[in-house]
Amino acid sequence: MNPAQPIERIQCQWCQGMNPKTALTCVACGAPLDIRNLVSESGWREAPRLRDMTEFQFSSSTCQVEGEIVPVAEIHLGANDSVFFEHHIMLWKDDNVPLTVLQLSGGLKRAFAGMPFIISVATGPGRIAFSRDATGELVVLPLHPGMELDVREHAFLLASHQIDYSFVRVKGLTNILFGGQGMYMDRFVTTGSPGLVLLHGYGNVFERKLKAGESIMVEPGAFLYKDSTVTMEVEFQRLGGLFGGANMSLAKMTGPGRIGIQSMYVHHHTE
Amino acid sequence: MFCTNCGSAVKDNANFCTACGSAMQHAPVQPAPEPPPAIAPTGVETKCPWCAAEIDASHLSCPRCGATLEAPPVQSASGWAELPGRKDMAKLQFGDSFCQIEGLYVPVADVNLAGSDSIYFTHHILLWKDPQVNITTMPLASGWKRVFAGLPLIMTQAHGPGHIAFSRDAPGEMIALPLQPGEEVDVREHLFMLATHNVAYDWFSSNVWYTTGSGDETETHYPVGMFMDRFSAPQAPGLLLLHAAGNVFVRELAPGQTILVKPTALIFKDPTVQMQLHFEHPRSGFTLWGNWTNRYYWLRLWGPGRVAIQSVFDRSEGENKYLKNCSAATEQHW
Repeated sequence: MNPAQPIERIQCQWCQGMNPKTALTCVACGAPLDIRNLVSESGWREAPRLRDMTEFQFSSSTCQVEGEIVPVAEIHLGANDSVFFEHHIMLWKDDNVPLTVLQLSGGLKRAFAGMPFIISVATGPGRIAFSRDATGELVVLPLHPGMELDVREHAFLLASHQIDYSFVRVKGLTNILFGGQGMYMDRFVTTGSPGLVLLHGYGNVFERKLKAGESIMVEPGAFLYKDSTVTMEVEFQRLGGLFGGANMSLAKMTGPGRIGIQSMYVHHHTE
Repeated sequence: MFCTNCGSAVKDNANFCTACGSAMQHAPVQPAPEPPPAIAPTGVETKCPWCAAEIDASHLSCPRCGATLEAPPVQSASGWAELPGRKDMAKLQFGDSFCQIEGLYVPVADVNLAGSDSIYFTHHILLWKDPQVNITTMPLASGWKRVFAGLPLIMTQAHGPGHIAFSRDAPGEMIALPLQPGEEVDVREHLFMLATHNVAYDWFSSNVWYTTGSGDETETHYPVGMFMDRFSAPQAPGLLLLHAAGNVFVRELAPGQTILVKPTALIFKDPTVQMQLHFEHPRSGFTLWGNWTNRYYWLRLWGPGRVAIQSVFDRSEGENKYLKNCSAATEQHW
C-alpha cells in the first residue's frame, strides 16, 4: 500500500471495512455509507439503520435484510458455506438446504423454555431466512481474525462457520426484574479467517467505544454485546428508603472496547 | 485494534501493522459529538404547535419539547392530531440540563444533568448511567396509600452532574410535556417515566370502577387504575416525560364535547376533562344470554380540555362477567 497514492475507497465507519468509492452501502455489513452517523452527545452511536432490501456479503454467501420493524435476515448460502443459529428463529428455507446440529464441547447442558438448547447448522448452496419475535434492529458485526465478542443469551441471530462458538454462565447478571439467577453469555471467536455475527437487538441498538479504564453502568437487561476486552462486574446498589429500601443491580462495564446496548429489556431466560 | 488491510490484531498505539506493514489509521476512540448546527436567530418569534412555547423561528425543532418545526402537524379528519414528528437525536433543554431522545422504535431519553439539577423517575426504566451519577429513593408524602393498593410505588432520584438514560420496554413514543407554572396534567398510572425536580407529583382516586360477580364472590375492577397521577409545576417551569405504547393521538375537546375511548388507551388529560364509565349494549337476538354480559364498556371523556390516547392498549378485564355495581356511568341500549 503506497500512502502517496490517493485511495479511491471509503471506509465504513461501523465495521471499518473498505468499499469502492461509488458504494452506497458497506459490502461487509450493509451500513449506509451516504448517511451521517447518529451519535448522541454522550457518545453513543446508533447502530446503522439498514435500508430495506440491503445486501452484503460474507465468504461466498450473501445476506439480504428485509423489513424494518421486525427485520428478516435472508441468507443466500454459497456452496460449502454454512451458518449456525438457534433453532427457534428460522423463518423459512429452501427444502434442499441441509440442517445439522452443532456439537457443543464441554458437555454443558442448557435449556430454553423447557426445551434443549440446540444450535443448528445450515449448509449451502441455498436460501434460509431468520427473524426474532419482536420489534428491533439487526446488528451486523463482521469479525476479523483474533476478535472476541461476548453476546448476551438469545441475542445472536446467526454466525458464519468460520467463527468458534462457546458460552459461559455469568452469575448475578440479572436485575431485580428477573430474579437474579444469572444468565448465559455467548462468546464468538475468530481464529483463521474473517467471519460474520448477526445479532437481533430489541428496540433500538446503541454502541459506544470505551477508553481503557472508562466505565459505564448499564442495566443488565439492556446489555447486548461487548468486546471481550471490556470487563463486566455486577454492582448491587442499595437505594435506601421505606421498607428497607429498594435495590438495583447494574452492570459496570469498563473499557477498552466496544459495548452495545438495546433499549428494550426483553429477557428470554435459559436454565 | 485491528489492521483494516489484513485484519491482524495490532497494538493500540502501533503506527504500522506488524503482519502486512500497512499504516494504521487511528480512529478517535470516542466518536466526536456532532457540533450543534449554527443557528442565527432571526428575531422572529414562532409558536411550537405542540407545547405552545414562544421560540425563535430559526429553530428546526422545539428546544422545549423536541417537536420538529419543519413539518406541519398531522391531523386526522376526525380531529385527532398525531404526536408531532421528532427527529432522531432531538435535543430538549430544561433548567441547565439537556435531554436527547434517541432511537425510533423504543426511544431512549438520554439526560445530561447539570450539577444544579435533579430528576426523579419510576422503577425499571434506568438504561445506563455514568458511574458518578448518584441515585437515591425519593421519600413520597402519604406514599402509604399507593403501597397498600398493591402498587409498588418507588420513585428514584438522580442528581447531576452527569449522564443518565432511560427507556421503557415496549415499542412506542416518548412524550415530552413541558409544564409552565400553574399548568397541571393528569396521567394514567404506569405511563410516567421521569420529571424534573421542580415538577410536583400527586395522585387522586380515579373514581372509575365496577364490580362483577355474584353472591359473595365479587371482584372490583379499575379500568383506568385505582389512582391517576397528577403533575404540576407550582413555581418554575418543569419537564415531564411519558412513554406510550404504539402511536399517540391528541385532541382538544370543546366545552361539553364528549368522546368514548377504551379505558387503557388513555394516556393523559387536562384536569378540566371529566371522565366516567359508559356501557353500551348492542342489540342482539340472544336476549337469553342476558343484557349484562353482552356489552361494551368505554371511558367517556368530556371537555373542555386536551386528551391523549395510545394505539396499543390492554384488553380490559372482567368485561364479560356479570356486572354488580359501578361508579357513576351512562348507558346506551341499541
